[in-house]
Amino acid sequence: MNILNPLRIAGTLLALGAGMLAESQASAQTVTEIVKRGKVKVGVLIGAPPYGSVDAQGNAVGYDADVTALVGKYLGVPVEIVQLTPPSRIPALEAGKVDFLVATLAPTPERAKAVMFTIPYSAFQTGIYAKKGVAIKNWEDLRGRKVGVNRGSSVEREFTNREKELNLTILRFEDDATTMQALFSGQVEAIAGPDAQANAAIKARGESETELKFVFGMQPNSMTVRKDAYELKQWLNNMIYYIKQNGELNAISEKWVGGPLPQLPTF
Amino acid sequence: MQFQFEPVLAEADRILNGVLLTIGLSFGAIVLGLALAILLVAAKSLFGRWVGLLVDAYVELMRNTPFLVQLFMLFFGLPLLGIRMSGTEAALLAMTLNLGAYATEIIRAGVDSIHRSQLEAGVSLAMTERQVFQHVVLMPALARVWPALSSQFVLMLLASSICSFIAVPELSGTAAIIEQNTFRSFETYIVVTIIYLVLALTLKVALLWLGRKIFPRLSSVDRLDAKAEAA
Repeated sequence: MNILNPLRIAGTLLALGAGMLAESQASAQTVTEIVKRGKVKVGVLIGAPPYGSVDAQGNAVGYDADVTALVGKYLGVPVEIVQLTPPSRIPALEAGKVDFLVATLAPTPERAKAVMFTIPYSAFQTGIYAKKGVAIKNWEDLRGRKVGVNRGSSVEREFTNREKELNLTILRFEDDATTMQALFSGQVEAIAGPDAQANAAIKARGESETELKFVFGMQPNSMTVRKDAYELKQWLNNMIYYIKQNGELNAISEKWVGGPLPQLPTF
Repeated sequence: MQFQFEPVLAEADRILNGVLLTIGLSFGAIVLGLALAILLVAAKSLFGRWVGLLVDAYVELMRNTPFLVQLFMLFFGLPLLGIRMSGTEAALLAMTLNLGAYATEIIRAGVDSIHRSQLEAGVSLAMTERQVFQHVVLMPALARVWPALSSQFVLMLLASSICSFIAVPELSGTAAIIEQNTFRSFETYIVVTIIYLVLALTLKVALLWLGRKIFPRLSSVDRLDAKAEAA
């Protein structure tokens, strides 16, 4: 149970306030500025294992944290990881609390109005999960049901777009962990979510009664920079291409997702 | 920094529904929580020591655990025992139980401030035990602690924002959805902050007016005393 969340909300609000002040004190936008400062501040998602979670000491661990460590290695500066929840990712970036995000964000056109994305560095399949006895094979089978989703995730839109057509009751939760918990407790009949997170939750809880019903998409994830940080974005693109080629990213995928790196699209 | 409020204000319907739910939850919790607190204080006065201990245990349990944990216990925990309620029901119940505990403690302090000689005066006027409790103990006690109760009610109104964590679309939950749709975080929370401020100040004024209406016989000296105690 995540009892730190109110603190994080407060943190987000503080970040919003600080952001207005930060407008005047420009935060590092270029690679040179980051190297000159001597550390890189990266926003990482927590509450979404295996991509981002927290170990017993409170440190961020997972796919994203390992990729962030590689960024630090190639930049040649120490990394300061800032732990974020899904709703606070983009506000924290815009407020200048972090230089960029390695936070499991899907590069959607809506988001791209506010921020800029690198080429994808990870991807997962998104699917509908429910209890074993429930007959759900496609969207039509969800008609009139109560469904849960992580507020602010890219799959939320899948439900929102079908809300009226399928007469869905959508419950929006703070993160993947709470969304899964709502399914386990029977507060919702089905949830939409990424496979890696759902599988991790099912395995950790020993919830053999919960299963994947159908897959509806693949969600590639990009690193995220502020608008106008072209040079930083290009350097990160370059690095992502490099660790895809030399096998370092594949090793991270094997370690956390339990499978090889999927064919990542580029743009 | 350019502010664009249009995308946020385009969601006015959604915001209104969120405001109505926040008002409904708060109003329900205030009425039910106050009734619960009066019942518990009465039970403490009129029944034996064991009932008193039970009431104390409940008050301490609610006052020494975070509201978010109480909410999660009701929403995620109770289904394991076969009791399942919707997010809104769990929110109303959690708010009522939480406010009930704080109000019990506040009213108890008011009851403790009633002097023994008052009770003796009541008994010597041939009042029944119930009449003494109602006219000599409860009403004067409530009058004295009304300012403290009022501030607790306002705190509960603001704490209702935590209910967004169990997917209740009250004002804060709605704000989060709008923020997701528009990516206008600053603007969304500026609007929401102003709405909360207006709601809280309105509630404060309404409670002040209500206090004057219900406890008109309270002398201005008593009112000053109560203010000093609440401060």
